[in-house]
Amino acid sequence: MKVAIIAANGSMFDAYKVFNIATAAAATDAEVGIFFTFEGLNLIHKEGHKNLPLPPGGEHYQEGFKKANVPPVDELVNMASEMGVKMIACQMTMDVMSLEKEQFVEGIDVGGAVTFLTFAKDADVTLTF
Amino acid sequence: MNVNKMLDAKGLSCPMPIVKTKKEMTALEPGQVMEVQATDKGSTADIKAWAKSTGNHYLGTVEDGDTLKHYLRKATAEEEKAETKHPHVTNLGDLQERMEGNENITILDVREPAEFAFGHIPGAVNIPLGELEDRFEELDKNEEVHIICRTGNRSDLAAQKLTEKGYANVKNVVPGMKEWKGKLNQNH
Repeated sequence: MKVAIIAANGSMFDAYKVFNIATAAAATDAEVGIFFTFEGLNLIHKEGHKNLPLPPGGEHYQEGFKKANVPPVDELVNMASEMGVKMIACQMTMDVMSLEKEQFVEGIDVGGAVTFLTFAKDADVTLTF
Repeated sequence: MNVNKMLDAKGLSCPMPIVKTKKEMTALEPGQVMEVQATDKGSTADIKAWAKSTGNHYLGTVEDGDTLKHYLRKATAEEEKAETKHPHVTNLGDLQERMEGNENITILDVREPAEFAFGHIPGAVNIPLGELEDRFEELDKNEEVHIICRTGNRSDLAAQKLTEKGYANVKNVVPGMKEWKGKLNQNH
């Protein structure tokens, strides 16, 4: 199985949507690639991904995350990386936002739209978050 | 239940039970059985689906209060095909017929205890293949022994071993429990 994911949003909810599916797929022997673009780059930003915002009005869910013993986002990112999930940061967004590769977590690749499309062209599952 | 590995995934939410299961399963030897303890209510459906996708063998789940105990067996590619190195083979239909005829026959099930617990032929004796060397004397040499496993592969090895030990009347039942449509007993 091959799973291609686009992460285009940057709240804490978005991080869990992306990384839960990605790690579950990797644990099921899938080849997984995620393309991080626009706000999605927050999810792999070294400092940013440790302090992602909850959507407006959803602040009270903080409690629920704790109660359900959901691992912190940076732990999920590490896990995904250890399981071989390919993470591609969008070059164009980085240029627009003046971001450098060093500002992101270890082990990511930087690429453009075609890098992702080449990975996704024969994917069995394609998801956008 | 006797297992090779116990994984405690209690208190963890999706996808952690699956991620941990995957990690521990990689370390198991083919054919070994793992118990995964979880409290995530979605884990039963997830573990079942995971086993199906990865080709591993989901044995079943036991509920113990709030804890779900899932049993998985690491699959081996070789055993999917029935092996017939042992020359005396019988099929499931014949076995069932002989049982219905009330003949006094011994059925030896050489699968792992957890596999046996989730469904076996009533009256079958369970000695896992790996313990047969030490426990074969529990079987009567004068009786006709029908050996069964999941696919007819482990039972073939067991039939060869018993023959080696001087058992003259040993039959390998093929294809095995995965095709068995008759009565099943459970003990868990």
